[in-house]
Amino acid sequence: MALTGRAALLALLGTLAVLFAPQPAPAVAGVALLLLALIAVDLLLAAGVRQLRFTRSGDRLVRLGESATVELVVENPGPRRARGLLRDAWPPSAGTAPRRLPLDVPAGERRRLTTTLTPTRRGDREAVTVTVRTLGPLGIAARQGSHRVPWSVRVLPPFLSRKHLPAKLSRLRELEGQHPSMVRGQGTEFDSLREYVAGDDVRSIDWRATARRNDVVVRTWRPERDRRVLIVLDTGRTSAGRVGTAPVPLAGEMPGTGGLYGGAAVVPGWPRLDWSMDAALLLAALAARAGDRVDFLAYDRAVRAWVSGASRTELLSSLVNTMAPLEAELVEADSAGMVAAILARAKRRSLVVVLTDLNAASLEEGLLPMLPQLSSRHLVLLAAVSDPQVAAMAAGRGTPELVYNAAAAEHQNAARRRITARLRRQGVEVVDAAPEQIAPALADAYLALKAAGRL
Amino acid sequence: MSLAAAPGTGSTSTSPTAATLWRGGRGVLLVALVVVAGAVIGVLLSGSGGGRPLDPADTSPSGGRALAQLLRAHGVQVTRVTSVAEAEAAGSGDRTLLLSDTSFLSEEEAGRLGAIPADLLVVGVQPYQELITPGVRAAKKVRARSREPRCELRAATMAGSAYLGGSSLTAPSGATGCYPADGRPTLVSYTDEGRTITVTGDGQFMSNLRLAEDGNAALAMNLAGTRPALVWLAAPETAPQATGEQGLYDLIPGGVRWAVVQLAVVVLLLALWRGRRLGPVVAERLPVVVRAAETVEGRGRLYRARRARDRAAVALRTSFVDRVTPRLGLPSAAGPDAKVEAIAERTGQARFHVGAALYGPPPADEAGLVALAAYLDMLERQVKES
Repeated sequence: MALTGRAALLALLGTLAVLFAPQPAPAVAGVALLLLALIAVDLLLAAGVRQLRFTRSGDRLVRLGESATVELVVENPGPRRARGLLRDAWPPSAGTAPRRLPLDVPAGERRRLTTTLTPTRRGDREAVTVTVRTLGPLGIAARQGSHRVPWSVRVLPPFLSRKHLPAKLSRLRELEGQHPSMVRGQGTEFDSLREYVAGDDVRSIDWRATARRNDVVVRTWRPERDRRVLIVLDTGRTSAGRVGTAPVPLAGEMPGTGGLYGGAAVVPGWPRLDWSMDAALLLAALAARAGDRVDFLAYDRAVRAWVSGASRTELLSSLVNTMAPLEAELVEADSAGMVAAILARAKRRSLVVVLTDLNAASLEEGLLPMLPQLSSRHLVLLAAVSDPQVAAMAAGRGTPELVYNAAAAEHQNAARRRITARLRRQGVEVVDAAPEQIAPALADAYLALKAAGRL
Repeated sequence: MSLAAAPGTGSTSTSPTAATLWRGGRGVLLVALVVVAGAVIGVLLSGSGGGRPLDPADTSPSGGRALAQLLRAHGVQVTRVTSVAEAEAAGSGDRTLLLSDTSFLSEEEAGRLGAIPADLLVVGVQPYQELITPGVRAAKKVRARSREPRCELRAATMAGSAYLGGSSLTAPSGATGCYPADGRPTLVSYTDEGRTITVTGDGQFMSNLRLAEDGNAALAMNLAGTRPALVWLAAPETAPQATGEQGLYDLIPGGVRWAVVQLAVVVLLLALWRGRRLGPVVAERLPVVVRAAETVEGRGRLYRARRARDRAAVALRTSFVDRVTPRLGLPSAAGPDAKVEAIAERTGQARFHVGAALYGPPPADEAGLVALAAYLDMLERQVKES
């Protein structure tokens, strides 16, 4: 049950009656009784809420930063017209608009209501409840009730770095010798023979084949194909730290959802995990085009996600689906377990790309002692997102406070350089780049390894 | 519209029905009923309530009905009065005025009490004690218990030990003090202009509860029954109405007062209207929000708090050397002298200054640290540009 402003307005009119009534005390009681009677009549004549039936349809998947529409069909089997308000409640980060919808369903009919979701976070968003308030004919009182109408929308990682994909693919084609430019294909695997075109490298002329035919024939090479790439995402505590500026507005754009992080304080950016996912998606897309098999593992103290053997066409969709609900766990990652999980899954020699943080303390105690096991069988590439905030602090000069902060930042940078040097001595490739650059930098590192035939 | 309901997308109502409300609420209702019933029974059993202390008409443990009956049986005429005017009018001559509770009297009325020409027996210290019995004041709070007379007063020695205490008293000169507590009497008796005035620190010895103990009854009889008539001033059942001219409240017409009641109803309805939420509040498990740079900022603040110029300088110098050494074409294992030499040569700075900046003692103050950072920046810029 709920009242409306009209009930209060009627009571206010009653005040006038009481003021000028010859006998005020009975007048108060009379007004109260009249109000109660009107409310009771209105409640009795309002359409029933319990009997309403709901059906949902609409989007099940949406990329972070884009909008999804979910439709709700309200069916009114009762004898009275259902008129009032409806609230389709979703978690706050689902970014529901509008928050309450006007409802008007005649008896025995259905109406379709549309809600737009603009999520501000990755993951699964479950519809909570549908609450309906049906007004009586007088508009004084209303019946109210809730229904559970299950629906969930999976918010996928936005894969913003896909804008880099065309450039990296053309670089890949250059490597494969399929590029229109007359460059000898790099790589070590013999691909095919073709006729010489002006501009081809004369060193690649195959004289034996030329002798057999009346034409000059050149050999083309292509990089190795069907190699294995295993992308390992560290979802431990270091991946929770927020760096850079969030490319997808987290809050503030939608009315009413501002202050998701406690007002207009510091904009905290995106977790390292999300930047790493972006880089992993670009790498996976690139490696799939290059003909390599891509597997994906997310690990902190247990296997959080595992994608294996996805076909080239399905790889990206299954990856984003698997990544969507991943969140950083606030525990120290178990490096020994991670290495064991990698060794158990990658039987053949692979490129193991570990997306983690170059945190000197946790790496020295965790991953470094385990690395020889891994790098003896696989080629290991460690990619880490650096913090632009630390870089900005390192450049601070002028006041003692800024210089102390700069010294602290330099201390951290020195630790990162030290750990990077140790990793490289152990034969591990290291990519350390700012949030916006990590995806292209990782793709470049992959292409360089491919060009060098090290896969 | 023809819409086929897809399987698995149906809806279920989650609002409670009358039956579930009854099932969920009946326990609470039962407890509330038990509490209300207990309260009602308790009030009914306790009779007239707390009772009026030392009222000759009150039969509760704190009342004084027993003593009044006792006095009447001994031929004393007991008159119960509830105001000073009645006390003044209750006949003159050979009588005793007993005051047990005068907290309802005004200052002026208390002064009139002291002037009534009769023996005065005051049990318990009264609010205007000084006006009623000049010279007797409450000295100190003491515990009420059975005490020995230890004095020459006939009424006390004949009664023996009695339940007295409450407050010890200061007596005027020439007075007899009995039942001492901590060296001061709790019963004072003296004669003033032919009247016998007796004051006790506590009146419980006269109550229905205590009268049968010790020598309480004897003491009460000896004090109150010395004259053929006793005028007993007790608190009235209800506080006297203040008789003044009409206040502002009385001048407001009744309609306005009831309109305020009606406005309260309006406010209640407004609260119900605005306070009713459209469905429950939705909770969400949010991820932790922590900026990765927080640890670095914390270290910076720690440096500043401890004035760790040495550590800060080491961090700045190390990173400077790490950045500049590859530009100079030196191996990273080169010695300090070689580095200083190379930098001085590249930048044209004095070797002494470069050496002091790179390997000298830590800055003496914060200004020195800021200057060191600026100097290192300048050197790096010159190495880059040369």
